[in-house]
Amino acid sequence: MGNLVGAELRKTTTTGLWWGLLIPTAVLALGWGLATGLLGQFFVDFASSGDVDEVSDFLGVTPDQWKVSLFGMARAINISTIFPMVFGAMAISSEISRRTITTTFLTAPSRMHALLAKMLVYVLWGAIYGLAIMAFVSIGVVITSDAGQLPDAGGWAMLTLVCVLSSILMTMLGVGVGALIPNVAGAVVLLLLYFLVIENVLHGVLAYLEVPAVIGFLPNGSINGLTGAVAVDLFLSSAGVVPTEIEDVLRAIAGAAGAQDWWLSGIVFLAWAGVVFAGGWAVTQSKDIT
Amino acid sequence: MHDGSGLIAVQNLTKQFGPVTAVQNLSFTVSPGSVTGFLGPNGAGKTTTLRMLLGLVKPTGGTATINGRPFHQLGQPGRVVGAVLEAQGFHPARSARNHLRVYAAAIGVPDAQADQVMGLVGLGSAADRKVGGFSLGMKQRLALATALLGDPQVLVLDEPANGLDPEGIAWLRTFLQSYARMGRTVLISSHLLAEVEQTVDQVVIISRGQTMFYGPLDQLRQSQQRRVLVQPSDINALANALRTAGVQVIEQLPDGRLAVSGVDSRQVADIALQAGVSVYGIQEETVDLERLFFQLTSGQYAGYAPAQQNPYQQQGGWA
Ligand SMILES: Nc1ncnc2c1ncn2[C@@H]1O[C@H](COP(=O)(O)OP(=O)(O)O)[C@@H](O)[C@H]1O
Ligand SMILES: [Mg+2]
Repeated sequence: MGNLVGAELRKTTTTGLWWGLLIPTAVLALGWGLATGLLGQFFVDFASSGDVDEVSDFLGVTPDQWKVSLFGMARAINISTIFPMVFGAMAISSEISRRTITTTFLTAPSRMHALLAKMLVYVLWGAIYGLAIMAFVSIGVVITSDAGQLPDAGGWAMLTLVCVLSSILMTMLGVGVGALIPNVAGAVVLLLLYFLVIENVLHGVLAYLEVPAVIGFLPNGSINGLTGAVAVDLFLSSAGVVPTEIEDVLRAIAGAAGAQDWWLSGIVFLAWAGVVFAGGWAVTQSKDIT
Repeated sequence: MHDGSGLIAVQNLTKQFGPVTAVQNLSFTVSPGSVTGFLGPNGAGKTTTLRMLLGLVKPTGGTATINGRPFHQLGQPGRVVGAVLEAQGFHPARSARNHLRVYAAAIGVPDAQADQVMGLVGLGSAADRKVGGFSLGMKQRLALATALLGDPQVLVLDEPANGLDPEGIAWLRTFLQSYARMGRTVLISSHLLAEVEQTVDQVVIISRGQTMFYGPLDQLRQSQQRRVLVQPSDINALANALRTAGVQVIEQLPDGRLAVSGVDSRQVADIALQAGVSVYGIQEETVDLERLFFQLTSGQYAGYAPAQQNPYQQQGGWA
């Protein structure tokens, strides 16, 4: 197994794909980070203008102490992890398209060994992408935010944790989908459509049907919940007692409407990734490589 | 684990792709120490058979084993069997050296082995070039280098001569023979007998997914029929004299010559002399292996050759 992991790692480092996708990831993360700070500033200025004093009473702190950057950071992480997901989606589908899968299977004790080695390597890449995303989001936010709106040390640590987790999980889902749909364009387009369009429409429908809790159990809903729930928790921990209605609004702002606790959201998404990978594995296991 | 015998055994192997029967009840064995040719026209089922042997295609029926085991039970397959299946399994952006290092890691051999096999197949100078820029022949060489990484006991090659230049084919021939002489097993497929005739000792000939002949190439050679083409002054007199001498198979050709089977040219000349018939021209003709191969495998896609080019039909004695 160690041999195969080494081989899979070499596969990823001997082509330019990893940095070809890392560059747009970093740019996107930085852009969202910068925008987060600017928007947060705008919001705080607006809230401090006097007309919305009631809200600051609710929250128990003055608006300039609201850690509004948390929401933007959660959303920045959610959107940026699309890239590691695409990276993962190409792991198996590109090997099948390029027919390198033949040699891969000829040099592995079994197809399962080969797929598991690949998954391990992509978990590592997911973590690397996650750290890069966190770094660039942070740089952007720090540049454009007032110190009062930034999380404390514990908050940074917690956000880094969920960012890396989120990136790993998204990569894993990508690997599974790439095994299920052994066509690079097909797998990538399906994932992008689902995460950027289909599930957002679903969220709207579920909200309209007044069953928002279901959202937290969908793939995009749960992965957003992982980061969004942490953002809301961190925000509330620095605020006073907040009514439930306001909390729901905050969750929606964090992109985590209907979400469970962050750890439960992570488990829900892991289950999705596991189901998809099991499906991809079954397809790959029985496939005739001709 | 496997028994280390170097034996390839295919037994009652069958593969159905939907309505298409690619391989039908195929059986043969391949022993170490010799090069075995796996021959048949396009679409005969060679690639499908080799891929079943290598665990890439799941048989509908029957078994294919290497060293007494199906592929997925070999443990470290890269050290037991090396395969050249097609000159396509490369990432175009990866250099030849990096390609080999990836699979060296998978098999668990040191990186130095990658450089060694590249030198062996003559790719040393192209090691750091991207495979996307390689010619078909270079890709074939790289595929062979990949197959050799684990220093395998069994070598399986599917039409490896495709795209190779004459020099490359000559090199491959020598290489495979010396590999077999080390006591290893070499199975090489081709749709052209002539291409491998000088390389192989044994042949398995298949057509439409079924075995047509299986045995030493020499045995196939010996079964070739010879005939004598003779131009006598008097056809009927010579034909009668030959019949009296016990020669049964006599045929008159459109050009006025007699084609006599089962005797050599000297006997025909002697009989003609005794019968007082002049001989204006005499010539021995052998059916070449390629035509024999064609006859064994004809009828799948190739149309029958026109009568003049294929003057007499011979029934192969195999099924
Ligand atoms: N994946 C596949 N799906 C359907 N038919 C196939 C497939 N692979 C091969 N065949 C068919 O099986 C037969 C044997 O093909 P193949 O093994 O490639 O022959 P060869 O290598 O001797 O040219 C052909 O009729 C071919 O069309
Ligand atoms: Mg073929």
